[in-house]
Amino acid sequence: FASLRSVRWRISLGILPSSSSVDDLRRVTADSRRRYAGLRRWLLVDPHVPKDGRSKSPDLVMDNPLSQNPDSTWGRFFRNAELEKMVDHDLSRLYPEHGSYFQTPGCQGMLRRILLLWCLRHPEYGYRQGMHELLAPLLYVLHVDVERLSEVRKLHEHHFIDKFDGLSFEENDVTYNFDFKKFLDSMEDEIGSQGNSKKARSLDELDPEIQTIVLLSDAYGAEGELGIVLSEKFTEHDAYCMFEALMSGAHGSVAMADFFSPIPAAESQSGLPPVIEASAALYHLLSIVDSSLHSHLVELGVEPQYFALRWLRVLFGREFSLQDLLVVWDEIFTADNSPLEKDSGNDENSSLKMFNSCRGALITAMAVSMILYVRSSLLATENATTCLQRLLNFPENINLKKLIAKAKPLQILALDSKISPLSSIFDGSYNRSKSAVSGYNLSSHPVSPKTPLSLVPDSYWEEKWRVLHKAEELKQDSLDKLSPSGKKRWSEKVKLVLSRTESDPSPARAEKYKKGHKSSVRRSLLDDLTRQLGLEEEDTEKGGCSDASNLEDHSTEAQVEGQQNDTNIGSIYRAEERCECGSGTFVSEENSSIFSDPLSSGSGTNDHENDTEKSSIASNLSSDENDDHHQSNPEDSPLPVSSPPPEGVPLNSPHENESSGKLVSAMKERRHLSGRFQWLLRFGRNNVSQEASDKGGGTNETPKSLNRDSKSNTADSSIAGASRNSSLASQRDVDQNVMGTLKNLGQSMLEHIQCVFGLHVKKAVYNLIYSLVKICRWVSSLPFHITLVFILEVLGLSASWKVLESVFQQDRVQVGSVDNLGKNNLVGKGQVTAMTALKELRKISNLLSEMDRRPAFDGDGWLRASDGMVELSEVEDVCSLIR
Amino acid sequence: MVLVLAIGDLHIPHRAPDLPPKFKSMLVPGKIQHIICTGNLCIKIGYNVSLVFPFSQVPQTASKVILLHGFYDQEVHDYFKTLCPDLHITRGEYDEDSRYPENKTLTIGQFKLGICHGHQVIPWGDLDSLAMVQRQLDVDILVTGHTHQFKAYKHEGGVVINPGSATGAYSSFTYDVNPSFVLMDIDGLRVVVYVYELIDGEVKVDKIDFKKTATASAH
Repeated sequence: FASLRSVRWRISLGILPSSSSVDDLRRVTADSRRRYAGLRRWLLVDPHVPKDGRSKSPDLVMDNPLSQNPDSTWGRFFRNAELEKMVDHDLSRLYPEHGSYFQTPGCQGMLRRILLLWCLRHPEYGYRQGMHELLAPLLYVLHVDVERLSEVRKLHEHHFIDKFDGLSFEENDVTYNFDFKKFLDSMEDEIGSQGNSKKARSLDELDPEIQTIVLLSDAYGAEGELGIVLSEKFTEHDAYCMFEALMSGAHGSVAMADFFSPIPAAESQSGLPPVIEASAALYHLLSIVDSSLHSHLVELGVEPQYFALRWLRVLFGREFSLQDLLVVWDEIFTADNSPLEKDSGNDENSSLKMFNSCRGALITAMAVSMILYVRSSLLATENATTCLQRLLNFPENINLKKLIAKAKPLQILALDSKISPLSSIFDGSYNRSKSAVSGYNLSSHPVSPKTPLSLVPDSYWEEKWRVLHKAEELKQDSLDKLSPSGKKRWSEKVKLVLSRTESDPSPARAEKYKKGHKSSVRRSLLDDLTRQLGLEEEDTEKGGCSDASNLEDHSTEAQVEGQQNDTNIGSIYRAEERCECGSGTFVSEENSSIFSDPLSSGSGTNDHENDTEKSSIASNLSSDENDDHHQSNPEDSPLPVSSPPPEGVPLNSPHENESSGKLVSAMKERRHLSGRFQWLLRFGRNNVSQEASDKGGGTNETPKSLNRDSKSNTADSSIAGASRNSSLASQRDVDQNVMGTLKNLGQSMLEHIQCVFGLHVKKAVYNLIYSLVKICRWVSSLPFHITLVFILEVLGLSASWKVLESVFQQDRVQVGSVDNLGKNNLVGKGQVTAMTALKELRKISNLLSEMDRRPAFDGDGWLRASDGMVELSEVEDVCSLIR
Repeated sequence: MVLVLAIGDLHIPHRAPDLPPKFKSMLVPGKIQHIICTGNLCIKIGYNVSLVFPFSQVPQTASKVILLHGFYDQEVHDYFKTLCPDLHITRGEYDEDSRYPENKTLTIGQFKLGICHGHQVIPWGDLDSLAMVQRQLDVDILVTGHTHQFKAYKHEGGVVINPGSATGAYSSFTYDVNPSFVLMDIDGLRVVVYVYELIDGEVKVDKIDFKKTATASAH
């Protein structure tokens, strides 16, 4: 039946048995039609046709047109008429573009009767707008298939005439003269025997070549035959059965009728109407897949039901053209609707009811993939109205295959998220992030997050850093050994990145990859951790120094050997990926863009247990890693960046003060950043390998410029501050509003610097980087040029460089007493610290450059990119000035 | 399928205060497509001032009268309009609204209906005289009033119906009047006449079937 969509649908909707003989099919078909006919006779009242055994006089008081009795024939009639009117309102506007079929009186009549009958059969739902749009495609599919069959029939007319003429002739006489309803009753016995015998004959006599056509021609065995699987006469009956099955879900978990019900389902725990629950499930899935988009939508206050109500109620019928819709429904109906067994231990959130069956999950996944389809334009929106406009005016000429292909892995993800025992963590983090997001104030956040102190994500970053650090050490120790694997992974990563650049996640590969590594990585991570801890205890001094020297060595090496760059980066990436794998405990996660809130919290808790003591190295490194991670993230998916809440939370309040102080030191590093821009500009952005080497180059530059920095920073920075301010001024007109915000931001940072004195430089740098990262992540959700402007603004603060210097000075004095963390000895070398910080910052610059690259696959990106170009060149000028 | 309400001789407020509540509860909007009223709604209090005085000469004091007139004049008329916007009224001898015609014909489905109050047809309520009017108007169904007695005749391939008085107002014949009205269900060539009569506080419904013959439809 592959070619007959209507038959396929009927099978997958559970009307026809999926695997059985043609006889069975015919019998079931006949049964369903008989049911419908009976229903129609029973429910559709005509007051003019006297019912059997109705005596005139007693009934008249009740059965008159003005009767108040709702059970009277007339009462029912008027109620039906009212319903019919309502239905007609909608039907008259149904698919005006396909009016030649849908607007014909015959079709309208069928639609009206089916809807009417369904509503009468299910008074608890009644008629709601949208039901007709669920029904119409079903009817259309039947219609199309019948038409196709008639074409086939014409093609092979001789067969039909030869085989069936005699038989059908007799029957035609009987059927045509009879009222169908009456005929039905008398037909029941006939169907089985006659239909079957005919079929047998046709099957025997026709060529095996056109076996399929035989199967189709089966439908034309006899006109008026009740068992014909596809018959024009019984289109209405079949459509009703399909509609009924679709609405009731046929014992499955997804019943479309629920979406029309304003009353919460009986088993629902949330007390919300099912459609709201389904919408919540949709957002849940979105938050797993793309937390940044999710938080963006939540920030704008776009509730899922605003658009999901329409999407779900008509099963995307309004979003796609009819032809596309059929394809979508093909997928949806093919998915099994039978409820999956529930986890006994896990009392599931009722919002996950949608994930209870494959079909529900697919519907949700489809919706999510639709959201992701318009992702970039959604992220560009600044208020809920435009956002909803984008969502509700779904682009018309879309790549449907891509959309569906995207939905498939999402479906698996949805199902996994339901099944996996981690779902409780999921839910927890989901809620957490949700609350964090809602309370999160965009403009004030980067400066002073008011959110309560939470150590969990802190340690998470620390852990990440540690792993990175380990990787670097490893690389130092055994470059040869590591390089192959590092390279391999690096290339894999690149591949992934590339594939993602085309906006499609390649989940299968990613998943496989991660699955394979998950357990081992986890273990090694723990090993790392303990080893690291031991290391630090033993030789804090050495560790710190070697760290610094490592960096230097690393960079010089990188300078010498182009190849090694690859390795370095590869190892960095490798470590990072390990982190991802390790912390991304859920297997189902296939896209590293998923790497977001739930994940971080999950691993964070994990880490939290292990980490009692934090070394300053670790924290520093963690921020570096942090950096790195963010750097890579934009590659993975354009925007995981705007999901700051969980990471934003960790910043401890005392650290905040320092962080602003560190920002000042960051300004210094920003110079390199601009240098990086230069580099990037030169090397082009599309070639990943080139980029890698670029990174290497950047690394080379670091020590040099660092030295320069530490020696002659005062003068430089003052110049820089001035020039940058000027360039800043030139860009003011770009976005006055955002600029204003950013300016305020920088201002407040400056204020915070006053508090910096007496605090530990290490911590300060760490926090500086931290806040920078945060800012960058936050900023990266903004257009690129604004990002640049922001950076320039920060650089403008370099006028207060002296303040920072004094911080360094003070630090040297105070560190010994204040610091109880691991890296006391190193503090004396403030420069080294600064160097580390510089490196982080350079990576931030990488991130920024990534952002510049991002527009390439962003929807309206090229414009943005060119904007960025202009600014980049300006930065370049500034840099040259400084030098 | 069309439902036509035939009603008349209300004589509000002179002979009856209002329609019986039971009738009012039955007559709900949305069911009836046409209302035929034979006249004698009698909703008039005072004079139609605008007729007595030209507008320019209406005395200042008359403004209240005009308001009153507008209010009462519209009451029953408006009530019918709420039931169904398609309202056809002929003028009874007590109706002072000159807008109402003496008689009126309209076509509903395949039936031609004639309305006339009936006080002009003498002798009052006489079938032969009414049949004459029916021929004059060339209608299938003639609806008249004035006698305050429900009557329905099948005559010469047509029907002559008198819905009686909907309020049970007394008439010049008798004081003993049961409130009644008629609802016609016109469907194709078939008319089902439902007669609603309030007897001892209970609504009695009767039904009369009438089929238009082919010849009747021809002419």
